[in-house]
Amino acid sequence: MLNGTLDTIGRLIEPGRVSRRVYTDPDIFELEMQRLFGRSWLFVGHESQIPNPGDYFTTELGRQPVIMIRHRDNSVRVLLNRCTHRGAKVLNERSGNAPRMSCLYHGWVFDSDGKLIGVPVAEGCSANFDTNDFGLAPVPRIETYRGFVFASLAAKGISFDDHLGGMKANIDDLADRAPDGKLALDAGVHRYMFHGNWKLQVENVLDSYHVPFGHASTVSKDGTQFARREGDERGAKVIEKDRTAADWKIRRSYDMGHGHGWTSNTKLDDDKRSSPVYEAYVNALAAKVGEARANDILKPKFHNSLIYPNVSIMGLNIHVRVIKPIAVDLTEVNVYPIRLVGAPEAINAANIRLLNVTHSAASFVQTDDAESFFRVQKGLQSQLTEWVDISRGLGAEDHDQDTNAPRGKATDELVVRGQYRAWLDYMREAA
Amino acid sequence: MAAVDMDTMTRKPELAFAPGDFELFLHHEARLLDERRFREWMGLFTDDGIYWVPAVPGQESPLNHVSLFYDDRTHMKTRVARLEHPMIHVQTPPSRTVHQIGRAMLEETQNDRGEFLIYSTVIMIEYRQDNQRLFGGHQYHRLRREGSSFRIAHKKVDLVNCDGPFGPIAVPI
Repeated sequence: MLNGTLDTIGRLIEPGRVSRRVYTDPDIFELEMQRLFGRSWLFVGHESQIPNPGDYFTTELGRQPVIMIRHRDNSVRVLLNRCTHRGAKVLNERSGNAPRMSCLYHGWVFDSDGKLIGVPVAEGCSANFDTNDFGLAPVPRIETYRGFVFASLAAKGISFDDHLGGMKANIDDLADRAPDGKLALDAGVHRYMFHGNWKLQVENVLDSYHVPFGHASTVSKDGTQFARREGDERGAKVIEKDRTAADWKIRRSYDMGHGHGWTSNTKLDDDKRSSPVYEAYVNALAAKVGEARANDILKPKFHNSLIYPNVSIMGLNIHVRVIKPIAVDLTEVNVYPIRLVGAPEAINAANIRLLNVTHSAASFVQTDDAESFFRVQKGLQSQLTEWVDISRGLGAEDHDQDTNAPRGKATDELVVRGQYRAWLDYMREAA
Repeated sequence: MAAVDMDTMTRKPELAFAPGDFELFLHHEARLLDERRFREWMGLFTDDGIYWVPAVPGQESPLNHVSLFYDDRTHMKTRVARLEHPMIHVQTPPSRTVHQIGRAMLEETQNDRGEFLIYSTVIMIEYRQDNQRLFGGHQYHRLRREGSSFRIAHKKVDLVNCDGPFGPIAVPI
């Protein structure tokens, strides 16, 4: 059994390999909920999900239910979704409008800033009962960046600025693509589940090694994937002569610290990208920011990025993906299409439609990933084989001047090692 | 959903099809899916045909909200090619399914376009890799008259659990 000391946790991670137990051990999962999800900065949601006072969105941080709600003063609050009386979840729907939140059980009523404003049969309260002590608790820390709301369940720890660091550039890259400089996550959510550990999805978002094999069924005979962006005739060259294509192998990955990372863009026929819908969008963007700036914004820079531990932002077919651990071997993933505010609706509709075929539960891409995670979780039941290998490119990384970050091939495992460095930092220190 | 007018179904003189013909067509479609004859299934759709499975109840548009499926001919071709690909891991082993179609009713006749809107219920049992799942919903087929039969101009399946979390769905419903 695991006792969570530095010594035992430290032994699970070696320079190019990790113990299978980080994926399979329920005790480690419990520790992750306390030490990692219990104190890291976590993505909660986007301000555009709650445009008006009283609008709310409910979600989980780790396993803990929370409410993201807009108060009358227009501020965004993140409150624990747990009645301060006997513990019932107060808001039960995924989203809605509730200027007052009323608990179903004994009717306690809370204001949208969490303040307790109504207790039925008040004469029954104990003599020293003070409503100020019984508001819905706000999460200890909350910060936003360009509408992305993050929270930490710990009062102390690394500042949000230091945590997000260089990953701001990836959020900027997306937000700048909107003519109004703003994004909206208001076009619904794809929800899928897989029987596997949450880290399998986290590791996968920056894994360019698996694509020619894991996603072979999405590649045509000419070695290209189906088109995933409006205006493209075809997707990336993934395979040539039965091997991973040279264009695919030139992708790079960047280890941005704190577990974060990103992969460089997929090489596509950007010179040929063209369609009436795409042109109308380019014109709308250029009208707002000028042609030169628009051209710079539209130059693809990244494929996918991970803001450790629970959110990735994709630059190819744009979306935000939230990873929600449920149990050691069960994970839910929520994929939100991104709407570019100020862009013609046709380009946003095209993005939404393409995301259906890449990342819905019935998509061409995500289904095979979920199958991979499921089979890894099964395979890792092999007790006679302790180690999972993550050594590709170990020691071969160089230093990228622009981002001031270690850089490796995207078909290597540099960023996975970065994730486990961060994982150890959280995990070996008692909360 | 409009109430079904039984008189319309039985008395309309210009209706060249008996109600049973629609039902037979739906059974044929279900059988193609169950027998994994996906290319033939795609062939049932008109060239401008659409296959839609919304992701929320009452979803009004596939253009401003995500869907589980919203396939036009281009996406349908990619989907079918993938289902035929030897390395579709999520179909190794393949799903086995049985569709049960019920309560087929003619909702609406558009004579000018030669189209009929058919409502029915669908239950699909799927078994794969030690796991059996149940899908159930209300479906709406817009069938276009073609010779002595029909093609599907639009098919929408409203799953009762459309907004829930799903494990991977590889085969159309």
